[in-house]
Amino acid sequence: MRGRRRFGVWTQGQNRPNSAAMSLPFPASSDRATVRASSVTLSRGGRTLVRDLNFEANPGDALVITGPNGAGKTTLLRAIAGFIRPDGGDIHFDPATTTRIAFLGHADGLKPGETVRVALSFWSRLQGADGAAVEPVMRRMAVAHLENRACGTLSAGQRRRTAIARLALSNACIWILDEPTAPLDAKSRARLADLVAGFRASGGLVIATTHAELDWPDQTQLDLTEAATAARVSA
Amino acid sequence: MSAMALFAREVRLAWAGGGGPAGPAAFNLAALALAPLAIGPDAETLAAAGPGIITFAALLATLQPAERIFGEDVADGTLELYALSGVGLALASLMKALAFTLAVFWPLPALAFLGGLAYGLEPVPALVLSAGLLLAAPGLALVAAFAGALAAGLKRAGLLIALIAAPLQVPLLVFAAGAGRAAMDGTPTVLPNLMMAAAFTLAALVLAPLGAAAALRARLE
Repeated sequence: MRGRRRFGVWTQGQNRPNSAAMSLPFPASSDRATVRASSVTLSRGGRTLVRDLNFEANPGDALVITGPNGAGKTTLLRAIAGFIRPDGGDIHFDPATTTRIAFLGHADGLKPGETVRVALSFWSRLQGADGAAVEPVMRRMAVAHLENRACGTLSAGQRRRTAIARLALSNACIWILDEPTAPLDAKSRARLADLVAGFRASGGLVIATTHAELDWPDQTQLDLTEAATAARVSA
Repeated sequence: MSAMALFAREVRLAWAGGGGPAGPAAFNLAALALAPLAIGPDAETLAAAGPGIITFAALLATLQPAERIFGEDVADGTLELYALSGVGLALASLMKALAFTLAVFWPLPALAFLGGLAYGLEPVPALVLSAGLLLAAPGLALVAAFAGALAAGLKRAGLLIALIAAPLQVPLLVFAAGAGRAAMDGTPTVLPNLMMAAAFTLAALVLAPLGAAAALRARLE
């Protein structure tokens, strides 16, 4: 069927990323979720971006969405997060009611007047945690030395690292990341890869868009180039 | 627990950001100081117009910072995070509006009392006017927050907020000012006016967060 693809189903026994990140507040083994997209069609500004897209992503997976500018990567991510209703098809979570999602968009979600520690402590408390995990997470993302700096005074990379630290405190079982590495240097990209590996090892599911090579172990790539082309042809 | 954490954060941010209570208080004071220049020096006229002018100045003061209640959250990506936080956008909107009322609009009843005295009201009518504004201020803020949510992220949002919010704030304006006027005239409608102001605030407490949440959900798309 033209424009219809099935992507990224993990095969059991593949090498899972191994990491020492288990001390971080990643989801318990009972909090795992699967995402299934069935015949999803998405449009933006009257233009169909994706037509009849199908994929399935399971606990421990890393689904990396690629494609040229305007292919619909961010739109698809926002649809998965529930911000956008697909024009057609369905995005289904299993379990449907208890799935917790952490989102990292183009903006970092930080307040200029808040210090790094205060911001991370807040997001930790919002999940009902006592804040004990803030310290190890800050060290993990190399923002511990910035803890008393106002977020408004940080560089783009430092802000991104702080926002990624927030993800680790979210206690979510799905991370949705929109261009997570855009302002990061090589070391910070490695830190993110390590964090993602630990999250996946605990059963977390990561869905990310990127223009850069992420090189996460056993990542599944979902290339929207063909989906976008199919949508244009069918339109 | 989560909602209280959000409330505490929003109080802190509203207090620290954009001048906190200073902006609306200065706006309110400026309006109170300028109106007599247009009305004239006649003490009786000023006292008669006082409750209306003071309440209207407070209404304008609640509109002044309304753009930043949700506008900053839209710009910096916080809105998405709140939407997924499990708190829910309606409860988050309620917490934000109440936090804003507490952190930013707390001087308004005090200014109403002082303004009442300056306009020639006796202390008791000035106190009743202040009580009316104390009851109406959360409602005024909630309506402003609803309008702020509708206009969040738009250019010239301030103008849109004023056009949306001002008509919806009219009942609160009427009853808060009516309480002060009744106390001044010695008519027995002080309590009904205060109760009506409280009733409209309670209605806003229920309806405004739901409306704001729907507007913010639409904004996320």
